[in-house]
Amino acid sequence: MIPALQHMGDPATRSRRGHRSLARRTADALGRAVADVLENDELASTPGLMQSLDPRVKLVSILAFAVATSLVHSLPVLLGLTLTTVAFAAASKVPLASFAAKVWSTAGFFGALLAAPAATAWITPGPVLVPLGPLSVTAPGLLIAARLVTRVAAGAGFGLLVVWTTRWTDLLRALSAVGVPELVVATLAMTQKQIMSLLRTVENMHLARESRMLSVGTVHENRGWVVERMAFVARRSMKTADDVYDAMLARGFDGHMPSLAALRTRAADWGWLLTSAAVCALALGIDRMVFPL
Amino acid sequence: MTAEFVLSGVCHAYGAGMDALEGIDLTIEAGQHVAIVGANGSGKSTLLKMLDGLVFARAGVIEAFGHALTEDALEDPAFRREFRSRVGFVFQDADVQLFCNTVFDELAFGPLQLGLMPEDVRTRVAETAEALRIGKLLDRAPYTLSGGEKKRVAIASVLTMRPQALLMDEPTNALDPRSQVWLLDVLEEWKRAGRTVVIATHDLSAAAESCDRMIVLSEDHRVVADGAPEEVLARRDLLLSVNLIHEHAHRHGADRHVHPHAHEHEHA
Repeated sequence: MIPALQHMGDPATRSRRGHRSLARRTADALGRAVADVLENDELASTPGLMQSLDPRVKLVSILAFAVATSLVHSLPVLLGLTLTTVAFAAASKVPLASFAAKVWSTAGFFGALLAAPAATAWITPGPVLVPLGPLSVTAPGLLIAARLVTRVAAGAGFGLLVVWTTRWTDLLRALSAVGVPELVVATLAMTQKQIMSLLRTVENMHLARESRMLSVGTVHENRGWVVERMAFVARRSMKTADDVYDAMLARGFDGHMPSLAALRTRAADWGWLLTSAAVCALALGIDRMVFPL
Repeated sequence: MTAEFVLSGVCHAYGAGMDALEGIDLTIEAGQHVAIVGANGSGKSTLLKMLDGLVFARAGVIEAFGHALTEDALEDPAFRREFRSRVGFVFQDADVQLFCNTVFDELAFGPLQLGLMPEDVRTRVAETAEALRIGKLLDRAPYTLSGGEKKRVAIASVLTMRPQALLMDEPTNALDPRSQVWLLDVLEEWKRAGRTVVIATHDLSAAAESCDRMIVLSEDHRVVADGAPEEVLARRDLLLSVNLIHEHAHRHGADRHVHPHAHEHEHA
């Protein structure tokens, strides 16, 4: 039988206004973060255009696209490069809605925040499109802002495609193969592992708290609890780091991280590399010749 | 028999008032299977870490394979390489031990550190993965594995180094019954191969089943018994005093009676 006390309080997960508790919201967010990482690995294992490429080739080609994107000035060409990322995503069976949401809601949004001042008459004088005094939006300002946002979105799109279509382990191997020091790659690998482990810990802490709560708690209480738990997680992560180092020493670690990583480059990879170079050259050519500054 | 580890008057503390070991005198011979048992906090894990040269005694002497095992000695690359190739350590928390990108890298880490040729490393990884039935996991990232799979990989990551002595901290911890049986089989194979195994545990049934010698640590961090498992387990007063078993009352039908009960799930 449920004790009378529990009938009296609000449900642990919802307040009178129907809001979910901090514990539940945080636990859900952490759970989603872990699920996202696992889903990324699953997507990277799905057959598709970019999944089939050697990760080293992917890294190099994406670097070329990023450089081209940063050098292009014309909005139509930038839009073309952005559409290219969407085409690559479709050919790689990346869910387009999710891809667009990630690129535009994060990179696009933050790009827009940064670009917003440039759209005003205060920074970029010119014919006014939307009169708002010193913050009026001007035509040349809007063009500059649009260029910046599109450039950020295209660049982020290429980067996200690499991350989503490459298994984390292959990405680390590729970084190692293109000359990133082994210790840096090992640190990246351990950092990701630590983050996953700590996410699970924090998620469980929030769930454990929620399971013993009869109300959503005040903002002050929740804030205090979160700060206290942050300190606990920090201490725990330091202890884990010490233990991991001991485990490495126990298996003979002497500062080097040799690897047997075997990555193969096939004809299709060279084809992709040449196509990428051609697309980048074409984008720059059109930008310079068709849309000169 | 030759002594692999000799501890004389070993003491350790993690800080003021945080004693971990007190006056430990032990000799572990080559080929012995030894269980170090004791309640939580008795110093079992610290003792294992000392045998692996990860923690050093504040007082006393530890020798491994006839050489003093000190921080200075392990600074010598030749000694460190020799020692690490001969002693393997399976940590209690498999998550701590699995720090590489993939299971394959995890199994290859030790042999690569020992400087083996790539072909030899691949052969060792393949053989060990087959023996421990983890071949299908080689391409996976360790954090995606289940608890039992992680433990297997952690053990495999040490076995690829083909150590002469294997140290295991709470090896049956977090293992389901089938995996526990599998682990006992692995230890049995090691026994037949004449290799040394030292396990730290408070699982008395696993210790009795897999070892031919049992060392009991008390809650004040001293060795209070050292002998064959059946002899040690017969001393119920001692086991009660070191908090390895407790008085447990329950009913069989209408009868209520009290008898000693081990910490885990085993009636002593």
